[in-house]
Amino acid sequence: MSDNEHGGSKFTVPIGPQHPALKEPGHFEFGVDGEVVTSATVRLGYAHRGIEKAVETRNWTQNMYLLERICGICSHIHAMAYCLGVEALAEVEVPPRAQAIRVLVAELERIHSHLLWLGVAAHEAGFDTLFMYSWRDRETVMDMLEGLTGNRVNYSANLLGGVKFDLTAELAAEIKRGLAFLEERTQHYLDVVTSDELFLRRTRGVGTMTNEQAELLGVVGPTARASGVNRDIRVIAPYSAYKVFPVTPVVEYAGDLEARFVVRLKELFESYRLCRAVVDNLPPGDITTRFPRRIKAGEVVSRVEAPRGELFYFIRSSGGENPDRVKVRTPTLANMASVISLAVGHQLADIPMLLAGIDPCFSCNDRAVTISGDDDWTWERLRQLGIARYGRPAW
Amino acid sequence: MSVHIDRLWQDALEQVKTWARTNSPWVIHFNSGSCNGCDIEILATLTPRYDAERFGIKLQGSPRHADVLICTGPVTRQARDRLLRVYEQMPYPKFVIAVGSCALSGGAFQGCYNVVGRVDAVIPVDVYVPGCPPKPEAIIDGIVKLLDKLNGAAPEEAQL
Amino acid sequence: MNSDLEWALEIVGEWALEHNAPAADRLDVRIKPEHTAAAARALIDARWGYLTAITGLDGSAEDGQLEVLYHYCRGASILTLRASLPRDHAAVPSVCGAVPMATVYERELAEMFGVMVVGTPDSSRLFLPDDWPDGVYPLRKDAALERAAPAPEEDQ
Repeated sequence: MSDNEHGGSKFTVPIGPQHPALKEPGHFEFGVDGEVVTSATVRLGYAHRGIEKAVETRNWTQNMYLLERICGICSHIHAMAYCLGVEALAEVEVPPRAQAIRVLVAELERIHSHLLWLGVAAHEAGFDTLFMYSWRDRETVMDMLEGLTGNRVNYSANLLGGVKFDLTAELAAEIKRGLAFLEERTQHYLDVVTSDELFLRRTRGVGTMTNEQAELLGVVGPTARASGVNRDIRVIAPYSAYKVFPVTPVVEYAGDLEARFVVRLKELFESYRLCRAVVDNLPPGDITTRFPRRIKAGEVVSRVEAPRGELFYFIRSSGGENPDRVKVRTPTLANMASVISLAVGHQLADIPMLLAGIDPCFSCNDRAVTISGDDDWTWERLRQLGIARYGRPAW
Repeated sequence: MSVHIDRLWQDALEQVKTWARTNSPWVIHFNSGSCNGCDIEILATLTPRYDAERFGIKLQGSPRHADVLICTGPVTRQARDRLLRVYEQMPYPKFVIAVGSCALSGGAFQGCYNVVGRVDAVIPVDVYVPGCPPKPEAIIDGIVKLLDKLNGAAPEEAQL
Repeated sequence: MNSDLEWALEIVGEWALEHNAPAADRLDVRIKPEHTAAAARALIDARWGYLTAITGLDGSAEDGQLEVLYHYCRGASILTLRASLPRDHAAVPSVCGAVPMATVYERELAEMFGVMVVGTPDSSRLFLPDDWPDGVYPLRKDAALERAAPAPEEDQ
């Protein structure tokens, strides 16, 4: 705690580092003057496991299993980005049926991720009912994923050269039934987030990022699309079976938290449509093809659209059984800078929602840090501050 | 005579405490650097399909109120001290459940720099739940096994 | 090379030492380290695209130098500016003047490869723990990781 020039007191509120499930649990420090945030910094590293170094001592196949576990929420898209890159280096043509199944799993993953996010973001706003309902409905897509791949999380559907699992007629029918149910529920959620008075007070006009700022800050994914920046790798640089099953981009222009909710919910409809299209038009043929153990020397860039935004892989082979370098730039890192920049000028109570808005996997935690003697700020207390400030009726 | 009554009173009190602990264990969750797979399955146990709360399990925020620590992740260097601190803040008797391959052995991250590799290298663990990640059913099973252990071990533990 | 990449080559032309197209949508341009900031400014001012990542490389150059790659994207096109740095005095100017959010990428580059990013607004550690020994850069091929190995069996 220090005194500012005007004789008042400034506090530094540390948030983090531990979160129950954050891709890169972060430690944020918000300088506050009263309730207004005046500065923000970020410190990551709590989930730093040294993966980019580890890939150099594992072979191309082992690395697929490692990279899948960078993040449990979007594990398939990591494996997909890696496989697409390595297949390009090896100049191997993957059968169209396999590419279509990859896209199907990727879209199912996007559905589970957005529903997960919806629940957690609602929880941050104190809207626990929405959290429980959305996670109950999310179980439908978890069942589909388990039916198709054998696991609810970390599906390991990819192989270098194809996929491991094929779609049967029963599964196809189950998926379509589930999608119909989810579509109805999603419409309900869209109605709720755009009309619930208390919720809107936490989201409309909060955390606004203009189109200009979004471009300058280099944000990606739904965070960018909520500010009118039409960045969706599936659209601007279609990969895998997206060339055959094109995606219609979902863009909003208000740039506030409400827009970020709306974008993700509307994207769910697009994902449902895509899944149905893939299931109904699955190309015939094999699901794998032969793959060499040594990959030709070269460098490749692989860009895919993870649920959170653009996932970037740079892979370098020097001709051996192990990669020389795998560089991974996750969408959350790209969007992290926007939180730091947006936070300044906002109320402290808005911070949990701001963080939730970029969807950093999860953004709730319970690390208590004591600052200057008598004040213990936990995440929970911060959430309560937000809920109290916006949620309680005036009476 | 009064010593005997004191002893009876103490025993009764301990039984009540044990009953409260096993019927409503308060749990704190800690992620020591995991990929979040285990963590989202732990969170799923609280949601309507699995509904761990019907077993009396309450997930809450402060280590000082917790009976049980559920820990995921391969314990990164950065997380190690925080894990210790959380464990030390918990009052006795306290129990630890390690969830997921990473918490048990480092999982896919064995041998990585910056990773300690096992939760039980840092704090004592009572129940190990393997899986990558374990399904919510497996996690609940682990918690229930701990409750059985709590029930059985209660009289000695309570002496602390 | 498509028209977007041709335009990119024009923008950074004055600093381009050599260039090649490793794939249909990619253009690699080699520049001197000291020009990375100017090139960034030129690309951003021309609104060519956005900086999507900064990659450090060790072992890609025959002479044992480090390489820093700046990847800019416009639609499906990827422009990669490559700068070679001597291992002992690896330094580049910060691109944060043109790309403020590059701060997280530059912090990562600095701690992983031991590259000094001159003028970067925040040079504190991003991923490595506070007690990580100085001078150990994990992603260099010759990193002395044993100096930083955590002791697994400690107090219980």
